[in-house]
Amino acid sequence: MVDFGTAELTLEMIQASQLGMKAIGAGLAVGLTGIASGIAEMAIGSAAVGATAENRDVFGLVLLLTVIPETIVIFGLVVALLLLF
Amino acid sequence: MAEISSGLATNYIYACTRMRVRRSLLIPREDYLRMLNMSLPEITRFIGETNYRSEIDELGTSFSGINLVEEALSWNLAKEYQNILELVPGELKYFTASYLRRWDIQNVITILRGKMQGVQPGKLKEVLIPAGRLDKVALDRLLTEESPERVVEALKGERFYPVLEKELPRAMETGSFAHMENELYKGYYARLIADATEGIKGGKIFLKSIKLEIDTRNIQNLFRLRAGHIREDVRELMIPGGSFSVEELQRLSGLEDRDEFIDAIKRQVRAVPLLNALEAIRGKGAIHEIEVALTRVQLDQMERMSKRYPFSSLPIMVYLEEKKYEVANLRALARGKEAGLPGERLQGYLVM
Repeated sequence: MVDFGTAELTLEMIQASQLGMKAIGAGLAVGLTGIASGIAEMAIGSAAVGATAENRDVFGLVLLLTVIPETIVIFGLVVALLLLF
Repeated sequence: MAEISSGLATNYIYACTRMRVRRSLLIPREDYLRMLNMSLPEITRFIGETNYRSEIDELGTSFSGINLVEEALSWNLAKEYQNILELVPGELKYFTASYLRRWDIQNVITILRGKMQGVQPGKLKEVLIPAGRLDKVALDRLLTEESPERVVEALKGERFYPVLEKELPRAMETGSFAHMENELYKGYYARLIADATEGIKGGKIFLKSIKLEIDTRNIQNLFRLRAGHIREDVRELMIPGGSFSVEELQRLSGLEDRDEFIDAIKRQVRAVPLLNALEAIRGKGAIHEIEVALTRVQLDQMERMSKRYPFSSLPIMVYLEEKKYEVANLRALARGKEAGLPGERLQGYLVM
């Protein structure tokens, strides 16, 4: 059994661990914002489908409204890219 | 979160949005005002260009004039209501279905009256609106029955059968179905309240709209009774379950002075629009104007409530009610024009 508390960390090990943490952070940034946009789009999407079912002319407009919460996931993606590069 | 992940919320949003869009496509006030200056063929053509196009086209070959308008309106209403019943989800379907049962009562009473007076089934069929639980097939079966007793017998198993069975002998004896009709509607409202308080999600909000409707009906009926100078016991005629108790309504109906009567109602209500409407009614004499004003307030209040609870049974109820009045308005317009009434006179009868 290795005692991590007292084991000596080499520079390579610390760098590798930091890289890993960055990757986890980037993953969380994209993943959580993805879920958030999904929830936001759920309500807008169902209203959009309802409106389009009644009146086809509004399709272009409601499509635009539906994808507005996509901005959240784009922010997440930007943060992830900043973290990684 | 649990609500969101169950997927229920999206269904509600979908259905309520559709109702809102449909509501926005109803005939606006300006169009009614334009129609007041049109003749019957012009009105027929006008509504043939709106939501009623398919019915007008379909029935155009078999009917003409006023009958075409009447039939197209009834068909459209029935089709619209059945369509809504198909598209609303879960609990909303339950509430909508129980709300639509009023059309069953209307249809059954029409059939009973027709049978009593020996009207031809074909003629009767033209005035039925199969918007409730009893569909075209069920109503056709009732139409083939010989006598009112047989019609009632065929309805065994329906919710309102006990009332029909109890009231039929009296109705046959007196030749009037008025009492039976009152009892059926009272039973209908009692059942709506029971459905709303059963503990189904959204029931409380549904109950609000029912109470509002019962209150409006009761107040309208009190005004009607006053207009008819009827001072007898009104407890029989009032619908229990609203915010006024039947005893209170009885007391109100006993008030001799009209201003005193309006003041007494005003003391009991808290809703500002209703208070304003009651104040405006003070100056109105004609009963139809009072009824239209009260109906308008009811619709406005329901609309306001539906904005407070945007994804509930209320947007659907608002649309169902407004559609009902749109059809009633168009029918009144067409009938009025047929009878040669001037536009100004007709305007007072429209709920705009």
